[in-house]
Amino acid sequence: MALLEVIDLTKDFGGVAANSHISLEIGKGKIIGLIGPNGAGKTTLFNCIVGYHRPDQGTIRFKDKNITGFKPFQTNREGIGRTFQIMSISGDLTVLENVMIGSFCKESDRQIAKKEAFEILNLLELEEDSEAYLTELPVATQKRVGLAMALATKPELLMLDEVASGLNPKETEEMVALLKKIHKAKDLTLFLTEHVMEVVMPISQRIVVLDGGQKIAEGIPQDIANNERVIKAYLGDKYVKGRKN
Amino acid sequence: MPIKTLKDALSFRDLPVWERIGFILFIIFCLIFPWITKGGFAQAVMIQFLIFCLYGLGWNLIGGYGGQVALGQAKNVGMSAYTVALLMVRWDIPFWVSTPMGVIVATVESFILGSFLFRLRGHYFAIATIAVSLVWQQLFINWNFVGGARGIELPLKETPNFLYMQFSSPIYYHYFAFLLVMGAIFYMNWFRKSRLGYQLRAITSSEDVSESLGINAHWVKVKAYCITGVFAGMGGAFYTVYYSYIDPFSVMHLELSIMIALMTMIGGAGSMWGPIIGAMILIPLDRYLGAWLGGRGIIGVDFMIYAMMVMIISAYEPKGIWGIIEKARRKS
Repeated sequence: MALLEVIDLTKDFGGVAANSHISLEIGKGKIIGLIGPNGAGKTTLFNCIVGYHRPDQGTIRFKDKNITGFKPFQTNREGIGRTFQIMSISGDLTVLENVMIGSFCKESDRQIAKKEAFEILNLLELEEDSEAYLTELPVATQKRVGLAMALATKPELLMLDEVASGLNPKETEEMVALLKKIHKAKDLTLFLTEHVMEVVMPISQRIVVLDGGQKIAEGIPQDIANNERVIKAYLGDKYVKGRKN
Repeated sequence: MPIKTLKDALSFRDLPVWERIGFILFIIFCLIFPWITKGGFAQAVMIQFLIFCLYGLGWNLIGGYGGQVALGQAKNVGMSAYTVALLMVRWDIPFWVSTPMGVIVATVESFILGSFLFRLRGHYFAIATIAVSLVWQQLFINWNFVGGARGIELPLKETPNFLYMQFSSPIYYHYFAFLLVMGAIFYMNWFRKSRLGYQLRAITSSEDVSESLGINAHWVKVKAYCITGVFAGMGGAFYTVYYSYIDPFSVMHLELSIMIALMTMIGGAGSMWGPIIGAMILIPLDRYLGAWLGGRGIIGVDFMIYAMMVMIISAYEPKGIWGIIEKARRKS
């Protein structure tokens, strides 16, 4: 049984089909990458699943439950966590408090929430920064805090939006290692949208490619890397023709 | 669970030492104030200060921690004040029975209004709360059943009466108001550490992020708005028995809402002590300076000074006086 099923999803923005008839399935415990050039509809698909947009057509099922049209806080309570490109929660709150807000999602007791938050900070090697304020930290650490906050809500499916944007190659490498670590430790299913191929290719078990709002390919990373339609979408017709000659 | 809650409310251990010393000094000052001052004016100002502390502490929930510029606190004060006054005048119902009812009316009104108004965000929300306040005030000015523009005067009992909260000396009012403020402070002390407190602060900085963390932003805001209504309701009920007279200009006025909001902002919105600091500065300034200048025929200068202060502080430090203190502390 698939953990998440998207069936025939369509989303229009005033006549522009951002997503048209997209279907995909994510099995439990898998790591799936979602790629595509700018404007391909990745973010729209993402937002439809977590509930920021209501799809015009199609169904989203999570753990065999129809969650189409759920609000973001509802999808989160069902077990879908997400990170933002910039996870901007107040500079007034410390890292620990930020993560505690995540824990409060399913736990109302402050002491227990604090304990859970500490466990997650330990897992993500953030314990030293627990008393720091978010704005005082470098971008790479802020991203990890964002990950910690999402993890604190105890998701089964974690959706990562451009988790490596703004990171240098070394930090990106660390992030990939971290994702592998939490995937294992928390028995998570990961779904990532990404521009940076160094993140998607080594970590994903399957990759879904969008272009112009449509799904143009799906498969294991090696196949995707050699798929003509994908290369065309990314690099244009000329490049593909040139390669053949 | 209740014991834990109580412990959270009464424990100030996580605060720095000097904050705790300040709090103790505040308590001592309030306790001995009636004994060290002579003259009714000082005591009247003190009681006003305490009432405004209560309003400010309540407003701080939605306006400070919640970041929603709600300019309708006066209507909650008025709802409760009118309920208490009407029950007393028409059916001779004592304070201790009418106050809970007044608070319930204010809370229910907040709930209904909050459910609708929180569909709006930012400035639109602020404007909507102003509009609703004006509507309520007009309604009460023109409604004969509640005394219209003349207001309601409470009938005085022949002897001081605890049931109706009528006393011969302002000292009793002083201590009762002090108890209310202490209750409010303990509540806020619990609140800032609670789940609701953290969730509200998360919403202030980003509604999208907090929704992604499983927080129902709309519902959390409505809840906080209702609690703000409870605080205002308590204040309104006390105001009624203390002055024995209310009219739509004293308890329903938009000016009161703005005063509460500005006072909290000057002191430091979203901080534990901000509303108290704000009231401590503005209420004496307002009353003494107003009386002093008014006595010399210079009317309105106190408002100018007041407005200047608001402008200077908001330009220099949006988090108010408490923000300035915090900044100094982080530097040292």
